[in-house]
Amino acid sequence: MLGPETAERLLNAVVGVPGIRRLMVNGPGLPKTVPYGPARGKPNPNTNRKTITVGGSDVDLRVQVGMVTIEVTDEATIEEIRTVCDRIFTQFPYQLQVGQFMKTQATLVDYAKYGPDADETMIGLVDPKRTDVPVMIQH
Amino acid sequence: MAYTPQYGPGTSVVAQNRRNQMNPDHKLEKVRDITDEDIVMVLGHRSPGSAYPTAHPPLAEQQEPDCPMRKLVKPTDGAKAGDRVRYVQFADSMFNAPSQPYQRTYAEMYRFRAIDPGTLSGRQIVECRERDLEQYTKLLVETEMFDPALVSMRGATVHGHSLRLSEDGMQFDALQRCVLAENGVVKYVKDQIGVPLDRAVEIGKPMDAEWLKAHSTIFHSLVGTAYRDDKEYIEYIQRIHTLRTKYGFMPTEE
Repeated sequence: MLGPETAERLLNAVVGVPGIRRLMVNGPGLPKTVPYGPARGKPNPNTNRKTITVGGSDVDLRVQVGMVTIEVTDEATIEEIRTVCDRIFTQFPYQLQVGQFMKTQATLVDYAKYGPDADETMIGLVDPKRTDVPVMIQH
Repeated sequence: MAYTPQYGPGTSVVAQNRRNQMNPDHKLEKVRDITDEDIVMVLGHRSPGSAYPTAHPPLAEQQEPDCPMRKLVKPTDGAKAGDRVRYVQFADSMFNAPSQPYQRTYAEMYRFRAIDPGTLSGRQIVECRERDLEQYTKLLVETEMFDPALVSMRGATVHGHSLRLSEDGMQFDALQRCVLAENGVVKYVKDQIGVPLDRAVEIGKPMDAEWLKAHSTIFHSLVGTAYRDDKEYIEYIQRIHTLRTKYGFMPTEE
């Protein structure tokens, strides 16, 4: 799994590729406070939970980056992303899988949150329980 | 005829490591030195140098009932002094960590007295009297049963044993209790439960991949020794499986 600096390098290289519609960063969570045990509720300082800059926008990392799901508009973009990844991952291997990994339809939870006329670019991108919005990167 | 325990089957290095850890006559290789004070700090049950809080008066000061079992079983130092029962919990990565939860319990049951281990898939907790606990923890941390990067002491929020390792080779920890410093030494910056320590506790350099593969107690077909390569172990597990399946129906071997 990636440290914030490597994640920043990877994401900046990937968002530079034209043809990306949406991008989602996944991994195990880094909570702001200790979630369990006698120290529950105390602050959890963690050098992996940082604000990184991707394509000129600030992104608050809430996870240690382990997986990046990218929605592309064109199949040729996938090969470009592979070239970028080959340049970044020189010390350890990576895996690039092609398939449908994001929701295509609104679920009941999405309906409850966004209503009948949900913005389809939001579906499957954020946890419906979260209040913060995705980061927009302009090209 | 004196009984000689076999501890476990198998011809692979993993099987031998498991037997070595379980066998109390086998002296575990000492890999690092950690001071008593550092152990106490990471455990986080009392401040270093303070007296052991007690749960009951020392045994010498209280009336013991006339019990043959009490005459037979000698109390440990902690029990004699009336210490509280405290715990240490380890989370072991599946990527060639030098010990694993079940293995820890087996090893501790053979090696230690007066303990109450709890075994789960990714973590193993052992409870005992506080002063015994500190001794046991010291042995578990200083010897070949520990690796600073792949094993960590975690009282709560233990998730990480089955995850891929971080790019610097550390096991994932949401609370980041230990960090890999620039000089390559792993430092505990928080105690077991995630409370920041007054000073960082150095626990040593992570072992290299070759050492880990030679000292691991987990089979792993990608990074270590594959289970299928240990024919004796496979034969043993298949026999157990067969007997368990037939048990109650025809509990004999054909």
